[in-house]
Amino acid sequence: MTQALVKRPLLNTRGIIFLCVLAAVAFGVPYLNGAGALPDYAVSLIGKYLCFALLAIALDLLWGYCGILSLGHGAFFALGGYAMGMHLMREIGDRGVYANPDLPDFMVFLNWQELPWFWWGFDMFWFAALMALFVPGLLAFVFGWFAFRSRVTGVYLSIITQAMTYALMLAFFRNEMGFGGNNGLTDFKDVLGFDLQSQDTRIGLMMLSALAVAIGFLICRAVVVSKAGKVIVSVRDAESRARFLGYRVEGYKLFVFVLSGMLAGLAGALYTPQVGIINPGEFSPANSIEIVIWVAIGGRGTLIGAAIGAILIAAAKTVLTGLYPEAWLFVLGGIFVFVTIFMPRGVLGVWDSMVDEMWRLRGMNPRERRLKA
Amino acid sequence: MLRMFRSVIAFVGLLQLAMLVPAHGQANDDAALRGEIARLAEADFRGVEAVVQSLASTGDPAVTSVLRALRSGDVYWRKSDKLVVIGEKAPGRSLLLTDPLTGEEIETVKKRETKKVKVNNTLRNAIDAALGGLTLRASDPAIRMQAAAQMFAKPEPKALPALDAAIAAESDPDVASAMRDARAVLILKSSEADKADALDAIARMVARGDAEARNALASITSDDAEITEGAALGIEKIDTSLRYWGYGQNIWQGISLGSVLLLAAIGLAITFGVMGVINMAHGELVMIGAYTTFAVQEFIRNSAPGLFDTSLFIAAPLAFLIAGTVGICIERGVVRFLYGRPLETLLATWGVSLILQQAVRTIFGPNNREVGNPSFMSGAFELGGLTITWNRLWIVIFALVVFFALMFVLKRTALGLQMRAVTQNRAMAADMGIRTGWVDAMTFGLGAGIAGLAGVALSQIDNVSPNLGQSYIVDSFMVVVFGGAGNLWGALAGAFTLGIANKFLEPFSGAVLAKVLVLIFIILFIQKRPRGLFALKGRAVDA
Amino acid sequence: MRLTGTKTLSMIAALGMGVSSALHPAMAEDETIKVGVLHSLSGTMAISETTLKDAMLMLIEQQNAKGGLLGKQLEAVVVDPASDWPLFAEKARELIEGEQVSVTFGCWTSVSRKSVLPVFEELNSILFYPVQYEGEESQRNVFYTGAAPNQQAIPAVDYLKDQGVERWVLAGTDYVYPRTTNKILEQYLKDSGVAAEDIMVNYTPFGHSDWQTIVGDIKKFGSAGKKTAVVSTINGDANVPFYKELANQGVEATDIPVVAFSVGEEELAGLDTEPLVGHLAAWNYFMSADTEANDEFITAWQEFTGDEDRVTNDPMEAHYIGFNMWIKAVEAAGTTDADAVIDAMVGVAVPNLTGGYSAMMPNHHITKPVLIGEIQDDGQFETVFETSGLVPGDAWSDFLPDSAPLISDWREPMACGNFNTETGKCGSAM
Repeated sequence: MTQALVKRPLLNTRGIIFLCVLAAVAFGVPYLNGAGALPDYAVSLIGKYLCFALLAIALDLLWGYCGILSLGHGAFFALGGYAMGMHLMREIGDRGVYANPDLPDFMVFLNWQELPWFWWGFDMFWFAALMALFVPGLLAFVFGWFAFRSRVTGVYLSIITQAMTYALMLAFFRNEMGFGGNNGLTDFKDVLGFDLQSQDTRIGLMMLSALAVAIGFLICRAVVVSKAGKVIVSVRDAESRARFLGYRVEGYKLFVFVLSGMLAGLAGALYTPQVGIINPGEFSPANSIEIVIWVAIGGRGTLIGAAIGAILIAAAKTVLTGLYPEAWLFVLGGIFVFVTIFMPRGVLGVWDSMVDEMWRLRGMNPRERRLKA
Repeated sequence: MLRMFRSVIAFVGLLQLAMLVPAHGQANDDAALRGEIARLAEADFRGVEAVVQSLASTGDPAVTSVLRALRSGDVYWRKSDKLVVIGEKAPGRSLLLTDPLTGEEIETVKKRETKKVKVNNTLRNAIDAALGGLTLRASDPAIRMQAAAQMFAKPEPKALPALDAAIAAESDPDVASAMRDARAVLILKSSEADKADALDAIARMVARGDAEARNALASITSDDAEITEGAALGIEKIDTSLRYWGYGQNIWQGISLGSVLLLAAIGLAITFGVMGVINMAHGELVMIGAYTTFAVQEFIRNSAPGLFDTSLFIAAPLAFLIAGTVGICIERGVVRFLYGRPLETLLATWGVSLILQQAVRTIFGPNNREVGNPSFMSGAFELGGLTITWNRLWIVIFALVVFFALMFVLKRTALGLQMRAVTQNRAMAADMGIRTGWVDAMTFGLGAGIAGLAGVALSQIDNVSPNLGQSYIVDSFMVVVFGGAGNLWGALAGAFTLGIANKFLEPFSGAVLAKVLVLIFIILFIQKRPRGLFALKGRAVDA
Repeated sequence: MRLTGTKTLSMIAALGMGVSSALHPAMAEDETIKVGVLHSLSGTMAISETTLKDAMLMLIEQQNAKGGLLGKQLEAVVVDPASDWPLFAEKARELIEGEQVSVTFGCWTSVSRKSVLPVFEELNSILFYPVQYEGEESQRNVFYTGAAPNQQAIPAVDYLKDQGVERWVLAGTDYVYPRTTNKILEQYLKDSGVAAEDIMVNYTPFGHSDWQTIVGDIKKFGSAGKKTAVVSTINGDANVPFYKELANQGVEATDIPVVAFSVGEEELAGLDTEPLVGHLAAWNYFMSADTEANDEFITAWQEFTGDEDRVTNDPMEAHYIGFNMWIKAVEAAGTTDADAVIDAMVGVAVPNLTGGYSAMMPNHHITKPVLIGEIQDDGQFETVFETSGLVPGDAWSDFLPDSAPLISDWREPMACGNFNTETGKCGSAM
């Protein structure tokens, strides 16, 4: 993880390739689907993977560049998902089974008389979309403000982020909370007038997700290559030293934490309409650990690696649960162990060392080459 | 149905009167008894109830064994000839039939050839009442005690004269006292009791002061002002004392929950707290301990059922060894490549935990497995107004024993010294000739072994299923972090604080919210003390 | 490092190829009829659902031994949704679109069903849901072979009332099934004259393991001089510690009986039932049912699993009924085409394992007997009460104000799952 001294461009070769691949997916998948080479359900599946990719990029910014390991990133993702889910519930309107124009079905049969205050405004899409970013951002801000000011670091911080998502999970399981309890929010009909069951909407959502990944990647990349990005990396590598040099470490950490939380919220907001359900299970500590694993497998501190890791593991899960329903956990668990021991820098790291080796064979110093790139 | 119940009791009362007549006809008519018993075949609940009351009314002690068998559902009738028998389970889904009165063996038949005489709760109550009456003057004081308790729990005013006679004849002071309690309840229940007697009874109940006594006072039927007022005052008095006992009960339950948390967390306090390995497979090591207990019990059940009570003593060292061995394998196979990269141990051990879970699911099946309580861990006892269950008490003791044993190992043995040396300064320890690799393996194995011990204890109160570990892992981390990693006293204080806090919150907020509040409390607490309750001080902290 | 890296890469490449091959729809093979089995084999629900997967495999094997269906063999397609609700939807899609299954048997818990509902609706396929649930739903593509609240909860409460119970504890896990069931029961009890202070409602989280306080509260509540009973809608996993605590604190069935709706033979297999004798459960089937069909089923099951101690339970019977109904409907329709089968399903009657016939009703629920059983010391239930006839499942409860006017009838011309008898419209009548 050598830090180049020269100012790095927003997009290096690898970044450009990544964006090109994203564009290829965004336009290629609908084409293949239209030509009959890809089944309909694969489109939503790819959309879902892309949401995970964005989530992984968000966590990689925080963990890979700032050194803060959050074991509760699933909470921001789920909150974003819930904000969007609440809008989709309101969109159902009187098409629910009880035909109540204001109250979602689960409230009707649990005898709620009126819409609780925290559901107000979610009938407007712009408000829900804003909330999908604002609520995770606010939670990240409050949590981070306390934690970073008190200099809670390392494993302690990781464990209390886990406590945060665990507490939220238990709270959302409660039916009194007014978020549908264990069942969560489901049975969505349409978004902005587009029918969620139609293939066109699905393709649209998938393309939007690809766009979101691209934007999320560019934002993170912009942060990383900026001057602030260097301070952020220095916080990761030697927090005390950065502080003694006069940098307001808390401020930088808080900024990254909030940005990362908001990106996770965006991923959640795109995820909900594509899978058709959001429920407290998304808050479970195990889910958040899985996000960390995506980043580690893809390659920490590379952004692109995180996205690759997320897509690889999610796809592996899809395939393995179908192919080896009784043994897939052995395979998945084995992959985790193998990668952490033998590929400490993840898939992208292995790729890097292979490329370096190739250049060395051609008689070129890999570091020089990288500096040129 | 209720009226029916009353009439049974009436008969029981009569029977008790009958029992006062000494030298009861011993040569009781066997044929008559057999005739009654034969009516059990093909009887519905009402029919069985009728048989029970008429059997009880004979007052013949010979019927107690039939009634007992009926209560525990061991009375059958043969489909071929409708012979009513007592059946005992025999291997291969068959029954060993014995004569209901003489106990002589008849034959062993397939279960399908018989039909059970069904009992339900109402019938069980009727049988209990009948047995209570029949055994009030048994020769064994323990049975008389039971009978008195039976009468106390299921009072029937008509049995009063029989009870009075029994009290007069009673020699054992404890039994006599229990009978007087029962008598007090009978008097409170009856509508035509003497006023002085009733006031006496109220005083007796207030002195007893427990929930049952309150129950008796609450169900008073008299309309005499003095009696009802006395009862109301008594209830108030009992309520006040019960409230204080309630706090005590909360503390006890908190300690008990704390001991469970301590057991679950203490192994982690070693692997995570001392070694810095974020061991996500910790819960699965606990699970391995629980499954070891299951396997041991299964083996004992099949080969030496008499040793069942010792099963936990066999399981505990075995669980320690097995979980410890698995732990050493994890350390040598995975963790040792990752020292200096603590966060990555999280990922690898997470993978290990998935594998262990699925392995257990494949070997033992995904269902819950039955782990029984040995007799010394069943039931409860009363300590003043506290109800303390034996299994919880033993778990508290066990947790403390494990804790102090571990303390001893760390502070007073050569291995403990080396462990501390290696974790404090690996390079220097190696220079001093300590085999750091071996010590690492042993330390991890020790933590894992203790997780296995926790599994033995948890198998007594929780599910033994592949999900067992998952449900404790988050709590364990909270305890260790709250207490301060690297300090065992922290784990102890942390576990009990969280346990008691949880139990005091639960009555007000409900179980779910109590847990949420405790988690928020931990998050806030860490802001105040970023390194937990008992933080390590010095340079090592920043490493 | 380099070598292992290359190896890993090739492994990943292989995985990638796996993905692409899985994404391609399998060519519809004409030789077999595919039956999807959508039950969690890992995660928290694996405890209950793995058994149902095995039961389905056995039923399919038996049918194939009988010569299959429409002259073709049946082929089970098993996937693992891993107790992960969004994954249920994804796997359902994969089964229907990718594997082209004709019917799916699966799900456990309402949330998993709610998660897959839109998928079955959109792709017009058939789901059989085998577990008791809270009602308040009737969907064209789903057949509910488990009990609705009126087929389990209400008869159980009636039985206890008959036994003289006057005070009620409604204890449940905090999710929609207990919430709705308790709501219905509370209304029902109040309608029958039980005072509000004689009802205690308590909710606990999933997998709750520390029951000391709650069992203590139940004891206290039960010591008010009136006969008390607990109606438990506590979810599977939390039951073992709950019953262990009950036994240890000495709460006996003769004092405070507990009647449970989610505790069957399978759950009891993880418990020492000696101290629990007399506690109750309400189901539509008990393994102890004394019929020829049940004996055959148990023998076949124990042979299939190779374990002569394996127990059977109510949801297994639900799959047994559902599967046979589907077979019958397909034979009647002469095709596995979803629309034809859905139309042919209503009115199909097949023998159940308790000695009667269960029929599919127009609201896609079935008729069932209601049995109340007491726990025995051998881990079995003994029926102490049985409804005189079969009880038809009611999708919309009469005891909830908003659902009382709704009815469901999927036959033409109504063809509606939530017809409002007050407004005379189907749902929101779009």
